[in-house]
Formats: sequence, structure tokens, C-alpha cells
Amino acid sequence: MSATIDDMEERWDVAVLLLQLWSSGVFCLIMLPAMFGCSLGVTGVYIKILVKILKWATLRIQRGTARPLPRPNGIIAREGGSMEQEVVAIRRSRTRTIEGRQFAVSDAFYFYKKGLDSIVDDQVTQRFSSEELASWNLLTRTNQNFYYVSQRLTIIWGLGVLVRYGLLFPFRSVWGLGVLVRYGLLFPFRITLAIIGLVWLVVGTALVGFLPNSSAKSWLSELVHVTCWRICARGLSATVRYHNKENRPKKGGICVANHTSPIDVVILASDGCYAMVGQIHGGLMGVLQRSMVKSCPHVWFERSEMKDRLTVLNRLTNHVAAKNKLPILIFPEGTCINNTSVMMFKKGCFEIEGTIYPVAIKYDARFGDAFWNSAKYNMVSYLLRMMTSWAIVVNVWYLPPMRRRDGEDAALFANRVKSVIARRGGLLDLAWDGGLKREKVKESMKQEQQKLYSNMVGAPRHNVCTGRITEDQESSPVEYQNR
Amino acid sequence: MGASQCSQTHPQKYKQYEDFADRTGFSLEQINNLHKRFRQLSDNTETISRENLENIPALANNPLRKQIIGAFFDKRNQHEEEVGSIQEIGFQQFLMVMSHFRPPGLKMTEEEKEAMRKEKLRFLFNMHDTDNDGTITVDEYRKVVEELMSNNDIGQEAAKAIADAAMLEVASINMPHMGPDDFYEGITFEHFEQILKGLEMESRMNVRFLDVDTSTMRCGKGK
Repeated sequence: MSATIDDMEERWDVAVLLLQLWSSGVFCLIMLPAMFGCSLGVTGVYIKILVKILKWATLRIQRGTARPLPRPNGIIAREGGSMEQEVVAIRRSRTRTIEGRQFAVSDAFYFYKKGLDSIVDDQVTQRFSSEELASWNLLTRTNQNFYYVSQRLTIIWGLGVLVRYGLLFPFRSVWGLGVLVRYGLLFPFRITLAIIGLVWLVVGTALVGFLPNSSAKSWLSELVHVTCWRICARGLSATVRYHNKENRPKKGGICVANHTSPIDVVILASDGCYAMVGQIHGGLMGVLQRSMVKSCPHVWFERSEMKDRLTVLNRLTNHVAAKNKLPILIFPEGTCINNTSVMMFKKGCFEIEGTIYPVAIKYDARFGDAFWNSAKYNMVSYLLRMMTSWAIVVNVWYLPPMRRRDGEDAALFANRVKSVIARRGGLLDLAWDGGLKREKVKESMKQEQQKLYSNMVGAPRHNVCTGRITEDQESSPVEYQNR
Repeated sequence: MGASQCSQTHPQKYKQYEDFADRTGFSLEQINNLHKRFRQLSDNTETISRENLENIPALANNPLRKQIIGAFFDKRNQHEEEVGSIQEIGFQQFLMVMSHFRPPGLKMTEEEKEAMRKEKLRFLFNMHDTDNDGTITVDEYRKVVEELMSNNDIGQEAAKAIADAAMLEVASINMPHMGPDDFYEGITFEHFEQILKGLEMESRMNVRFLDVDTSTMRCGKGK
């Protein structure tokens, strides 16, 4: 009996020793560099090896089959003409000519054809599902259409699965702590990093919150925030390249970026301190939010306040007006888009008087699809997927600050900022509303088309003043764009 | 090519696609693309309902949206003898409706081209003839005109005037010896064909797939 107890104690000692070794390793190798923003270069080497393997895999596949590439611009060819040109062209092809601007039976055909085109392929619905890759990145989840071309490729894929699930994933999962101690190899730190980061955030901000308001306090709180997010970023094996750091958002400004996933916040906040904007949640998120606000002012709203646009705008304006507060981080698209395009920016935050700092974020899809399809995956399964991808490689471009011009409409300004971001990030600039993910299109859009057609046909209008029927020749403002 | 890859690993799917290709005249790659689109529209289920099609934002722009969506659920477009409408369609029915707008193949004979033209005309005729009685009456025609024009800009009267004028035009072409008291029932399919004689259905009324498969490409078509 005592022998077994002795054994147990021995084993416990060994375990404690290992734990100590390993946590000091974590501290020295990961946390310290994260705090000071330097890197040991391990992730960099890992990424380089990955790129080489993926390139080889692509070549193998291309040798094996000539697979048709997915098309980013859709699967059908569209006519480039405007409504007027098309309808006239259809009319002209009939044997009996139509004089002038009259209604013709064949006019409807233009709309039928356009409708069929939209059903086969449209620019919007494809933005709400994950991007199709041109080549396979050895993750079966990214594309169902890749077939196992050769033995060698299958073996590499199998090895990849082993590495990802056997090595990387357990070290990123809470339930793998026991496995951690036994298999401490390449990356034994990932989820512990995330937990450490978040705990550090809560504890650190609470501590800093006790200090009186001073410049030291704000410096400390910035340090706490940034280190926490950096540690979390390490926990996801995120490699981020920041370009044009001189344009980084300054205090009293508004930072605006395109939205692909919740990880955007982690990535941006690792390089600078921002005031977050959002709804107060319950549970773990609520704890985080409440502790963050102790050390520096973030803008959290109650659910009821969110509905009232004016309240929201007022609070944001007040925050910006106090020039010494941190820049606000806002995602004007309002929802997650799959990182191939930028959708309509909601004009709300562009109405505030302040400098806008646009930021473009582009994920490298070869290493893992970062898009959060909230209809398909909830937050937890999304994070698990992220932690079992190869890595997250991101390019962040800080763009020069912009201000609203005199007399410029907020919506136009929003569009201006959007095209700057789209151009920098290599994304498609779309005017469609990201809210279409969940809602339908308004009826008024159809009426625009009807107006356009009526003008073209020269439908007689009732002139109320003179009581006569006149033909209206106003210039048509809206083109039926090929979307 | 893609087809051989397909057949190695998914023989069942390939066979089904071949069956569709025979029936509808699409190529295998086109069917593959359309199937992906179908799954996208149907939220990964087996059938599409009217709501799924109504949710396409680009389609919401279109004044004739109701007619176009209705055509998908119309039994007359399924190459069968039935009439009526259905609530949901599967992929095969989706393909059958799309096949009315398929591009003509390179090696089609004159008869085949004529048959295809007639088929497209029939499809468009069905879209106008909403009560399935074989003729487009003045009322049905007027409804199309009203949908096309904005209701705010022109009154009911103007739409009626335009529709009547168009019907008169059709009547004068097809029944030139009609007296002033005769009542024109409505546009039958033959009259419809007659009016639209010469309209290039082949080049205008089809969905032009961007194809790598050269057997369905036409010379001078590529952009």
C-alpha cells in the first residue's frame, strides 16, 4: 500500500517538475517576446516550410489533372451594354422594324434574359460562402472538389492530418492539457497561450484600474492590452505583416476596416491599442468587456441602446471629441464577408466629425480559411477550426488618413473610403449591402428599373399643371449595371 | 479532363450527370457548375422553393421577377404534358427549365436549330400566358406592360393604351382581313411565332457559359 503511495508521490514530483520547466519555457520563449513585440522566428520558418510543401502539392495536382479553375467573376459571360442598347438591339433583329420609341413585344425578353443570368450566377450570394481556392491547401475542408490524385499526395495529406490533429490541435485545446504534459514537442503552448492571454487581460486591467488617472496608467493599460492580444495571436499561429506603420491610427480618430472574422480584432489590436465598440454580452465575453473598460474607456452598449441610432452616434461622437481617447475600431460592413470583396459600408460612423484611418486586411487563403460563416458554424467550432488550420497569414495595410470633404454626403464618403480599402487589399469593390446575408432586397430597387424602362419607351405622362399629356425626356440617372 | 477525374472517384454522380447531359443538352462541366449554384441557392438542401429564388439580390432589380420565378415552378416547362404549378423543384427540374436557355451546339442541324428556337419561344410564350389556356389575352398582356412600367409614372389608362396598341399590331399582322366588329381573342402560339419571326433567339436568348470545354464554344463568341 505504501509502495503505491510512494510511487504516486514520485510521479507527482516528476509531473510538478515538468510543469515548472514547461511553464518557464512558455514564459521565456513566448510571453516575453510577445510583450516586447519581437519574435523568435519559429513561426516564420514554419510558414516557409509550409509554402514549399503546398507549392509541391499544387504541382503534383496540376500534373495529375487539368482541372478547370474556379472563376472569381462568375460562370457566365455578360453583355456589357446598357438597358437601352440591349433592347434596341433585340428590336433591330426583328424583321419588322419598330419606329422610334414604342413598346414592343420583344422588350420583355431583355428582362427575361437578365433574370435568368441572375439566377445562374450573381455577384452577391457567392460572397457569403467560403472562397474557392485555385489550388488545394491540403485541408479537405476548404474544397470538396479536390480528389486524391496520387498516392504520394494522399500520404502527405495523411501526415498533415497527423501533425495538425496530433500535434497542433491538442496543444491548442483546453482538454488537451494532460496530453500537453506528455507530448510537449513543437508547439505545446497554443491554447494555454490563449487562456494565459485572456486571464492576463482580466487581471492586468483590473490592477491598472485601481491606479489614479495619469499618463502612467494609460501607458500601462496599453501595454496590458497589447500583450494580451499578442499572446492570443500567437495562440492562433498568426503571422501578420503590417505595412505602412506610419499611418497607424492615432488618438481621437476612427479606425475603419473590412470584416472577415472575429480574429480581425485580435490582429489589429496586437499592433496598437484601440477602443472597441460593441454590445455588452453575458458570460465570459461580458467579464472581459467589463474588465477592459476599467483601465481605458471602451464603448460598450446595452442591447436596447443599439437600436437607437442617435444614442449610438452621440456616444461615439463624444468619445472622438475627447481628443486624448484611443481611436475607435469599427467594421462598417456590419457582418462577416468572405474576404474576396468589400461590401457596402454603413454610413453611420462616417457622419461623425473626425479623421478616418482606413485599414485593409487580407488573409492568405492558402493557410486556412478565416471566414466566419455564422450560419454554418458557431463561435466555438469556428475557433477550433482556426486552431487546427496550418496557420493564419495576414497582410494588414495602414492607409493614409481621410477626412470628409465640405459638403460631401456621408454615403459618398463611405464609398470613397471603401474603394481605397478594396484597391489596397486586392478585393472586389461591391456596392451591395452585406445585410443581404440575412434580409431581402427592398422593393424600391425594382421601381428604379421600371422608371428607367418607362423613360426609354417614352410613356406619356400626365402633366398635372397643364393637364396635357407630354413626353418626358429627362436623362436617365441610373444604369442597369451588370452585377 | 475534368470528366475523367469525375468518373474515377464519383462514378454514381458522373452517371447521373451523363443522364442529365443527354436530356438537357448541357455539357458535363456546365452541369457541374449549375449543380454548385443549385446547392448555393438551396442552402445545401435538395429542393429550391420560391423564397430561395426571391432572395437573389440581382433578381430583385428585375421588373419581371415574378414571371421569371414562376417559370421555374411551371409544369409546362418540364417537357411533360402536365399543366399547373409546383411548390418546390429539385435539381433535375431546375436543369430542365435552364435548358430552354442553353446555348446552341456547334454541330446542330437546321431542324435541331428550328426545334430549339420553337422551344425557346414556347418558354417565353408560357411566361406571358399565365392561365394556361393557350392564348395571351389582352389582360395578360396588359399585366406584363404594367410590370415593366413604373406604376407611378404612367397611369392605368396609359398601360391599357399601350397594351391595346400592341395587341392591334399583332392582330393586323396575323389576321389582316379582320373586320372592325370582329373580336380578337388573344395571341395564340402561332401568332406569337409569326410576330417574332426573324428575332435572333439563338444568339440573344441563351445563357452564355464561360466554358473551357471547346465542344460547346462557337467561333467569334469568345470575349
